[in-house]
Amino acid sequence: MTASANFPYLLALAAFLFSVGALGVLIRRNPIVVFMCIELMLNAVNIVFVSYGRFLNSEEGQVFAFMVIVVAAAEVVVGLALITQVFRVGRELDIDDLDELNE
Amino acid sequence: MTVLGVLPVLAPPPGIDILGLLPEVILAGGFIVLMMLDLVTAPAQRGWLAVVSVVAVAGAFGATVWCWFDAATPRTVYFGAFAYDRFGLFINAIILVSTALVLMITPQYLNRRGLHYGEYYALILGAATGMMLLAGAGSLMVIFLAIELLSIALYILSGFNRTEPRSQEAAMKYLLLGGFASGFLLFGMALIYGETGHTQLTLIAAAITNGGGTVDPLLMAGIALLFVGLAFKISAAPFHTWTPDVYQGAPTSVTTFMSVTTKVAAFAALIRVFSYTFGEPLIYDRWKIIVYFVAIASMVVGNVAALRQTSLKRVLGYSGIAQGGYILIGVVVLTPAATWGSLYYLASYAVANIGAFAVITVMANRGEDLDSYASLRGLAFRRPYVAAAMGLFLLSLGGFPPTAGFFAKFFVFAAAIGAHELPLALWGIGTSAVSVFYYLRVGLLMYTRPQPDEPSYNWSRTSLSGGGVLALTAAGTLVMGIFVTLVLNIAVSAQNGIVLHG
Repeated sequence: MTASANFPYLLALAAFLFSVGALGVLIRRNPIVVFMCIELMLNAVNIVFVSYGRFLNSEEGQVFAFMVIVVAAAEVVVGLALITQVFRVGRELDIDDLDELNE
Repeated sequence: MTVLGVLPVLAPPPGIDILGLLPEVILAGGFIVLMMLDLVTAPAQRGWLAVVSVVAVAGAFGATVWCWFDAATPRTVYFGAFAYDRFGLFINAIILVSTALVLMITPQYLNRRGLHYGEYYALILGAATGMMLLAGAGSLMVIFLAIELLSIALYILSGFNRTEPRSQEAAMKYLLLGGFASGFLLFGMALIYGETGHTQLTLIAAAITNGGGTVDPLLMAGIALLFVGLAFKISAAPFHTWTPDVYQGAPTSVTTFMSVTTKVAAFAALIRVFSYTFGEPLIYDRWKIIVYFVAIASMVVGNVAALRQTSLKRVLGYSGIAQGGYILIGVVVLTPAATWGSLYYLASYAVANIGAFAVITVMANRGEDLDSYASLRGLAFRRPYVAAAMGLFLLSLGGFPPTAGFFAKFFVFAAAIGAHELPLALWGIGTSAVSVFYYLRVGLLMYTRPQPDEPSYNWSRTSLSGGGVLALTAAGTLVMGIFVTLVLNIAVSAQNGIVLHG
């Protein structure tokens, strides 16, 4: 199959993965799993960028996907450090317990 | 080989134009220098890092002023990725002044909290660099990278109080919701890129115009998702839920910084992308509905929720959501008057909000922030000048003359009426009336004599730099409210100078 024949399936796959990630963020309670779901959303977006880039025959989509990968890596570094620190100041790892800031 | 060939910096290839990024380059340089200086600075000497960072900000401000005169004819640089125009430079100036004011109140606050670590200054400069890049971003890629640069720095800063659970909670909430919003932002960008074939704003605008009368549903979905991502950054309802929590939990000096600068930068991107790239009537009619309702929702939710708060930091958080709603009026309405009205509003909001948060920062003592309503009671009898300044900031946020806030609201509402959007203006005026209740309540509390049996609170003494910041912001609020044309002329010229075609 050619790139353009595959294209609708790729878009559908990306939309499906994005929805799974978004749903996971909304229903999972462990911050590390929530974080993994966010990564899933970003990677779904990468599929969209790369497949559009192939479909349109332009490099911008692939360059954008590389940018997303780099930024996601930086976000993971900060995110995991913060999650570790939350655990260290004496909490269970459950975002429902993070409710001190509420009125 | 010529001399210029040996020094590629002096003879850059066409399209590369370092001048167009001069303020950002200076600030990014300051960021790197501070990271290295932190390694060799003794803990007791860290106050000097604040001095170095203020110098870097002043240098970037000087470059911005120079660029303002140089950018009389706007252009795009770096192959269209970045807009070198007065619109971006106006926003740069607001961001840099706010950053400098925050840096001046920072060392004292951090010392009292035992948090005086050097990376604070580097992170503030890193975040400010991201914001300035966002203000001038001319391509979706730069918008994404700039948002992430400022967000990642702010995630760390909100959790800067490493041993305080509330600060950690704030950072965690900001991180998870921020990442979630980035996902939507990116998906929107991917769809816009796919349907127009470009990531540069000017080329996207041209592709939409050449599209010829049909609206692509995927493109509209992309625009809607992009708006969700940006609405999160300006904390517009219903994407605002993180705001009060993060503002309350983060160290107050960080809250002062992020409550103003993030919003200013994200609004710059919002205006540039929505009002000037997606301004095509056919597209505009669709996204206008979304922004319209988000603007009204922000005004209502922010003002009503603020009535029920008892912590000043949360009140200012909700008031910031409502102010975002007023500025969104300037995005919904496409006239030039709406754009310069929003620019004026952003400047006045920055001055008053920095001042109000600076009061909490300056008064904070070793143990806690003293931002509860109970701790404000009788402030005017012990710190008359601080209370007077606070009153002035609250009047400006509430939109009373003769302060900057009055004219800001006037310009935005007048622009809405001028574009036959009377309902929007009425919603704005109605919700402003509600906001008077909580702004005045704080003011009255400060001027109420405390009961003898109440616990007395230990407000810190105002230092020279802290008092200086309060005096400067108070003067700014009054000057912008009395000599209106001073800033207005600059805002109008910024609106005129926006890059439309690469």
